[in-house]
Amino acid sequence: MHTIISQPASRADFKTVKRIDGYEAIKTDYPIYLTDESKLVSTDANHLFIPRDEAELVAVIQAMSAQSIPITIAGSRTGLVGGSVPACGAIVSLERFDRVESLFFDEDHQEWVLRAGAYVSLKSLEAMLKSKRFPDLEKTEDASVRRSYERFKADADTYLYPPDPTEMSASLGGSVVTNASGARTFRFGATRNWVRGLRVVLANGEFIDIPRGKYFASEEGTFEIVNTAGERRTLTIPDYRLPETKCAAGFFTAPGMDLIDLFIGSEGVLGIVTQVDVALIKSEPKISIVQFLEDDYQAVRLTASLRSDQRIKLDFLEFYSGNALNLLRRVQAEAPSTVNMPPIPDEARSALFFELNYDSQSNNDHLVLLQEIIRQHGADPALSWAAHEPRELERFKVFRHLLPETVNSIIAERKKSIPKLHKLGTDLAVPDDHLMDIWTHYQENCDALNLEWVAFGHIGNNHIHVNILPRSIEELNQGLELYQLFAQKAVEWGGAVSAEHGIGKIKQNFLALMFTPEQISQMQHVKAVFDPDYLLNPGDLFPCEVCA
Amino acid sequence: MKKIVVCVKQVPEVTDVQVDPTTGTLLREGVQSILNPFCEYALDHAARIKQADADIEVIAICMGPPQAEDALRRCLELGADRAILLTDRKFAGADTWATAYTLAEVIRQLIPDFTLILAGKQAIDGDTAQVGPEIAEILGLPQITYGTNVNLTADGRRVQVKREAEHGIEVLDAALPALVTITKGETQRRAPSLDAVIDAHRKNIEIITAGDLSLDEEKLGLKGSYTQVVKVFPPPTKKDSRVLKDLEPAEAAREIFSFLKENHFLENNRSGAK
Repeated sequence: MHTIISQPASRADFKTVKRIDGYEAIKTDYPIYLTDESKLVSTDANHLFIPRDEAELVAVIQAMSAQSIPITIAGSRTGLVGGSVPACGAIVSLERFDRVESLFFDEDHQEWVLRAGAYVSLKSLEAMLKSKRFPDLEKTEDASVRRSYERFKADADTYLYPPDPTEMSASLGGSVVTNASGARTFRFGATRNWVRGLRVVLANGEFIDIPRGKYFASEEGTFEIVNTAGERRTLTIPDYRLPETKCAAGFFTAPGMDLIDLFIGSEGVLGIVTQVDVALIKSEPKISIVQFLEDDYQAVRLTASLRSDQRIKLDFLEFYSGNALNLLRRVQAEAPSTVNMPPIPDEARSALFFELNYDSQSNNDHLVLLQEIIRQHGADPALSWAAHEPRELERFKVFRHLLPETVNSIIAERKKSIPKLHKLGTDLAVPDDHLMDIWTHYQENCDALNLEWVAFGHIGNNHIHVNILPRSIEELNQGLELYQLFAQKAVEWGGAVSAEHGIGKIKQNFLALMFTPEQISQMQHVKAVFDPDYLLNPGDLFPCEVCA
Repeated sequence: MKKIVVCVKQVPEVTDVQVDPTTGTLLREGVQSILNPFCEYALDHAARIKQADADIEVIAICMGPPQAEDALRRCLELGADRAILLTDRKFAGADTWATAYTLAEVIRQLIPDFTLILAGKQAIDGDTAQVGPEIAEILGLPQITYGTNVNLTADGRRVQVKREAEHGIEVLDAALPALVTITKGETQRRAPSLDAVIDAHRKNIEIITAGDLSLDEEKLGLKGSYTQVVKVFPPPTKKDSRVLKDLEPAEAAREIFSFLKENHFLENNRSGAK
């Protein structure tokens, strides 16, 4: 089916919606709504709305639309590219869309699916799944939801939602519109792979429910969008080919694509995702391993072997460069309790961090195989840390996230004396056969300029975050030039300028590296079909057309 | 060869445990089991002492259901040479005294030539801190509790222990054999290597049942317990608490401020701040 008809939503009285008016009032009493983890700060937002439900949300949209006031949607504001920082107009926070609606077993696909409001956080979702206790479902008066929930609780297995972005306070809706990924993307793919349905409120105040597998692009690459007044708009999907890497730059497109995939990763510029259906998988015991290595090149070579060996199924494959380990050693020396791990071995000059299934009752032959592969690369499996108890896995996870936090705190300290300084963190991915190329490129260029830098992240997906820590404005500018150079190389090698952070307001210059003006114009055509007046998330993905 | 016995317990990961307010039973869905952290510290000290003296064997002993093998497996990963699991329905329902009796008898009968017994100061599920001292009493050993560091003297005849006391740190020593219970102190939890995990899986865990030993069955399990847990319940919530609902943040903050001020909670802080 290529045609989708939007439905009229019930509409509440606009006057009853919780609101704060005036930039100064927002800045004084609600400043957190003016910024996000990108640290970009809005200087021009005149209204803050906190609708309690979809009816109130629609009332806000229609009222703002009538006055041509653009709106920026905010979830948990954990994004790194300023997506939820309003360029102008109004902010609409979805924080009251925080209910888990149901848990049901999809008989066709033999999987459990959770339906939840856009603001439910990944962290709370993880905790509820772990304990199998969902406060909203405990209180439900819907008999069928109750039955299904009881069936879920009676299921002997426990379940998890695979996507695991580092920032687990992210909202489910936010993670969908950014197609968030994380370490486990290596095995399970990004958020897109787990979304089974979306409810989207459009800029015209109507909504569409999009289950996965119902609406597909025609052979000509089009969808028909029809509103309740019968007006038809034809949407032509872009004809560019996306890189075969992780990619969070630009709209998704593919021949015969599912409409749901257009909204996933669209950065919220096409509609407002209010409700999400996601699939769950059985939770299995895991073992995490930090393998220390002789140097970074050994890590790159070992990565290639580990991911090409089909007998080993790693959930994630992460990287710490030698200079990243040195930074952690410094933290360990100054505040051992912050690191909460044994001393990093003196011999360690690089490290890989991976996780795979673990069965306490079996021989774990796959671990023996892993041991052999590590030895074949000249590394020593005795020079490693392993964890499989739940609390140990948690300790390792905290350690894994410690490095970006350390980088952020160093930059925050430096900003006190040089306010214009900021972190430079790359988010580039390249195809498998260019991992060694891009690593060499990173290392040679950063070292040539004698910059302070560390590298870490998703090496299994050839997606290493190079973080440059500038000590002066001159170094900041050198770093910015390097970033541009790295992005050009990544594109040259068939990669993506943003693998997971998205484009938002601060990486639009990179979009032009990856896409031609014609291709960007195709994206803008898609935007115009859903949001002809460019009122949703102005300034995200494309330059702002409506702000003064 | 000197033998250090480490008594360990498998416990639920208590940060996750909730009690059903109606039935008073533990809600165990999703709650996993771990090696009791204080037992792990005890094992760490044993492994450290062994590192300096190759002529030491570290033996971990655990009483529990069959799945307590996992806790022993972790002991092997962290440096134990042998692991013994005492598992039998006859041991079920044991209080601290029956547990101590069983562990003491196992040590007396299977490892009569032990040099030192280490135990965690308490298990994080029961929090009694009784089993270690009771084993020492049953075996007639000198005991030092709340140890944070343990070393054997050069002549191998005494144990020297740093222990936490209310007024500071005490350094005590005792003639061997002796029993020491261990608390966290400055121990940084270790992490076994991949090699150690694989090697631990290759080692055998010795299973001992009641029939393998000469035991007085009247002293085992529930039958041998002087105490019984009648009911478990969460601490009652304070009735006079007040939740501020449906208020604007600024309004809620004003309410809280007024409350603190009216009840004189702010006065000390203010003088302290000067």
